[in-house]
Amino acid sequence: MCFRRSSVWIGVAKMVPARQKSVARTPNSVVQRKSKIKSYRQSYQSMTAASRLCLTRALTSLWLNTSRTAPKSDNILDKVDPRQLASLMKTEWQLSYVTPLYQFRYTQLKSYSRQLSAFMAAEKEQVEDGATQNFKVSFSVVHGLVETDYDAETILIQIYSKSFFAGQNEHQKPVWKGWLACVNGNRDYINSLPKEFISLPLFGSSGTEALTALVKSWFQKNFDCCFGSLEINHISLQWLVALWTNYHAESNIKQLQMIWTLPVQPLLQVSYAVNPVDAWELWCSVKGDQPELVDLSAGSLSSVSTALGSAKCRGQIKISNSKCMTTTLTLLTECALLKMPI
Amino acid sequence: MEAMQYLSESPDSINSSSNDQPVSNRNLNRSQRIAEKEKRKNEAEDPFVAAVKYFSDVEAGTPVMGNDVFEGNLVVVEKVAYAEGLPPDAISVMLEFAMSLRMGTSLCPRVLKCLIPATVVPQDAVVRAVAWLGVSKIPISTQVLFIKWVLTVFDMIDAKDQLRAIYGFIFSFVTEENLCPFICHLLYLLTTKQNVRVFRIRKLLDLQDRLGKQPFLLHLLSLYKVFCPELVTLSVPSRMKRGFRNHNSPWKSALAFVQKKNSAAIAPSAGVTLTIKDQSNRRKRKHCHLELPVLTCALNKESQAELSSNRKLVPLAHLRSFAELLENMHRIELPAQMGSLLSTSVALHYLDCVQEESALLRLNFWLGYTLREEFLFCRDGGATQNSDEALQFLNRLLCAHQFLQEGFSSSEGFLYKFLTVWDGCLMRPQILGLLSNIPVVPSYKMGQLLLEPLKQLYFTSSPFFKCGLLECLNGMLRNWLTWHSVYALEDNMDISISSHTSIYMTLSGLKDSVSQLVQFVDHLAVVGLQLESCHSLLLNFILDFYETVCDMFLKYGLPLVVLPSPGVFYPALLATDPVSVDRLAYIMHRYKVNLAFAKSQLKITEAFRISRQTFSDFNHYVVDMVNFLWNAKAFQSGVNVQLDEGILQRSKVPECSTSFDLVYHPAFMSYAIDFHHKCWPERKELDLSSIKHVKPWSWYVEYLFSQGYDGLELFKRTNINRWQPVKGDKEDSGTMQL
Repeated sequence: MCFRRSSVWIGVAKMVPARQKSVARTPNSVVQRKSKIKSYRQSYQSMTAASRLCLTRALTSLWLNTSRTAPKSDNILDKVDPRQLASLMKTEWQLSYVTPLYQFRYTQLKSYSRQLSAFMAAEKEQVEDGATQNFKVSFSVVHGLVETDYDAETILIQIYSKSFFAGQNEHQKPVWKGWLACVNGNRDYINSLPKEFISLPLFGSSGTEALTALVKSWFQKNFDCCFGSLEINHISLQWLVALWTNYHAESNIKQLQMIWTLPVQPLLQVSYAVNPVDAWELWCSVKGDQPELVDLSAGSLSSVSTALGSAKCRGQIKISNSKCMTTTLTLLTECALLKMPI
Repeated sequence: MEAMQYLSESPDSINSSSNDQPVSNRNLNRSQRIAEKEKRKNEAEDPFVAAVKYFSDVEAGTPVMGNDVFEGNLVVVEKVAYAEGLPPDAISVMLEFAMSLRMGTSLCPRVLKCLIPATVVPQDAVVRAVAWLGVSKIPISTQVLFIKWVLTVFDMIDAKDQLRAIYGFIFSFVTEENLCPFICHLLYLLTTKQNVRVFRIRKLLDLQDRLGKQPFLLHLLSLYKVFCPELVTLSVPSRMKRGFRNHNSPWKSALAFVQKKNSAAIAPSAGVTLTIKDQSNRRKRKHCHLELPVLTCALNKESQAELSSNRKLVPLAHLRSFAELLENMHRIELPAQMGSLLSTSVALHYLDCVQEESALLRLNFWLGYTLREEFLFCRDGGATQNSDEALQFLNRLLCAHQFLQEGFSSSEGFLYKFLTVWDGCLMRPQILGLLSNIPVVPSYKMGQLLLEPLKQLYFTSSPFFKCGLLECLNGMLRNWLTWHSVYALEDNMDISISSHTSIYMTLSGLKDSVSQLVQFVDHLAVVGLQLESCHSLLLNFILDFYETVCDMFLKYGLPLVVLPSPGVFYPALLATDPVSVDRLAYIMHRYKVNLAFAKSQLKITEAFRISRQTFSDFNHYVVDMVNFLWNAKAFQSGVNVQLDEGILQRSKVPECSTSFDLVYHPAFMSYAIDFHHKCWPERKELDLSSIKHVKPWSWYVEYLFSQGYDGLELFKRTNINRWQPVKGDKEDSGTMQL
């Protein structure tokens, strides 16, 4: 498909986040979003006389980030163990949101590793009728992948296959990886939870669906939480484009690629590849004056990719550069918290 | 002869007598007994009764071959069995007949196959039949068939205590290789904690060594492990793929057919039993949010070790009855997944006492997640595609709400979101039911969250939806008022200074919310009546609502009186059906009583002040009502309805002012004519005006009251002082003075 350069500009212009109408210029500046519902708090003192099943009502009206702060400049490599960071990068993760975990203890990770291995062995036995595949699970904390004191530390789960033929010393590649994270989670929301709960709203997994299902089911049974799929809607995708383009000055984004889906029969996908310099220039111009916006009619952005990372509307994300790790996870944490039932 | 007696009863009474209430039989009153005797006489010749009698009396060793009497009787029984099912006593007789092998082994399967219970299966019969298993030489295939039958009708066995008592006896059949899978299933259904013994576990493990890891053994062992984890060391997979094999026996379809037919006769089993999920029945679904989690013990033992070390905790999953729940109330361990509490009534009882905030929060997280995933986020149709499951789920939730008499906050939050996208059709009864359970909404939030979306739905839908919504809002109001009255009482505080009611809310806050709701419904009612041209069904639902509103002060202790607007009052007053007018009269009567009470309280404390405007509005309504119905002076007071003379003339109603009294009112005209005929049977010509003379008038009014118009009578008693109706003379209405 061939597009004149101008049409690319149209596309990019549309891509500029719609949110700026209400507020923001860029992710760099502070974004104000008005909460729709005023916080309505119930006094916990009145609990005895209160309608008890509604204790949690206070939480229902809590809204999420009222401000989105600029990414801090401190280098993530200083905070996080590079090996652990490497295991989070360059993998395409399938995202889910998770309701807060009940009685999850960071001190019990070893025991969780054991329990999950046993659980998987038992479940697999059912599926494969006693096949000899065995799993070794490791839970670990990715220290430092947080932004505030309220954020719970990221948990990395890796599952290795214990094949009988593999040598003991051989370096093993995990057959499944997953993590639970909370970066820059809304402070009010996290504080409103009783202390038995830990909020790690963002879950990424990479591996077979069957294993993912097993891990989810184990978490559900042990920590009474629920997993739901987390799509990245097209506004969030636009934000990601903005975020990543903004890094161009520091590290080359190489090429900005965007795919729009147009609601026509048969479904039409329009793919744009934008020269990084053009994208950068456009981005700079957006930060300054308002360019003349032209709508790319009813299409919706379904996928974006740059050298820094890629994202798809179905909830897949890949981060290839540690620089934008925190900002990307912050945005995704916010998306996940928006999905919370209470 | 006991059998005969049962047979003559209707299925309903069989049901009640089989419940442990033999007393109820004795309490039958005389007339019933006589009727029954009659019935019995008629049924004595009933071939079915005769057939059952044959099987209960037939001698052992009677030949089968060429026995036409036998064949005929069996056909009769089979016919009844497949058409409407067998009553409990017939089941007993036939089961006894079959298992005792009185006429040989060949008949047994045929008889077993037709044992389709109409209502319940008597436990004694099953116990006796199990006993026969040990005594007589029943072929293995028939034994299997019998156990399969027990499994199929298990839920219909009227009690299980005796069956549990012979647990050990039943267990002994486990060694019979062919019977083992079915016996295991039966044991699974019967097992209680007391039954789990080391020797039984050993036996099962022996069997497992011999037969391999059979799912039926694993299932039974896993249940044992649930009860006594310290005794069963075997690692049991936490979730088993296949349950007990689904016994596709010949009874299933026949039973379903019979049950469908008799569905009215079978009382829903409201007993406190644990539901055992048939895992194999579960349909594969891509999104299976709607499944309730299984009630399991907390898996995270280590983390709770410190808790349970102090006292021995009892997992909720082990409790099977309300009595057990009460016994262990102080040391119950919550399940791993709080959502599972919705699955059984024992658990719901417990939920009512759960004080832990985090436990309720867990439940709300799960419930909110489930509702939103299924009805809001689902891309591929969601609820509309799996409507059966969605319906079941919502019904269960609704049951829980009704059981607990309050709603969960997450379902409230969900409803606010759902209302904005709801078409008003999908699962309407369930959604409206859930809606009426939401707790008091602060008035500043009410408009946006609740009233706006409801308004849009209301004005764009059929009169029947309008009625449904009004009923729902009536329920909501009643719930709010009930909460208020309960908490006001519980706090034992002077209502005027009561600082919190159902949620943290001042009394004035509650009054704001309630009056906003009432005004909203009033608005809906006024416009609805215009849109549907005074639909009488709609009018009745509106009057239902006002029956709640008019009694808020006296019945619920909320010092608030809100009157209906003229747009509701006059359509009801001028309605063409007498019931509506009567109900309006009743409502006005209750308003009067409430206002009088408020006035009397006013002398004690200022807190009960009702606005002067309310009194004056009420007085105008009463004056108008008396003028319309008693004084034949409609449209003359001109206070509330100021109608131009020209408009009245254009309505082409002759003598507008006099045509709405109790004689000429379209709602009562037929009574007036009837009364006229009764009063002056000799008169050829109808002269309704003659009713208006003093004597006939008072008779006529009495006549109306005698027809069941109590509302009018009460209205008259509280509002009309003088009872001297002279034609043209003015009836005095008892207006209220401030």
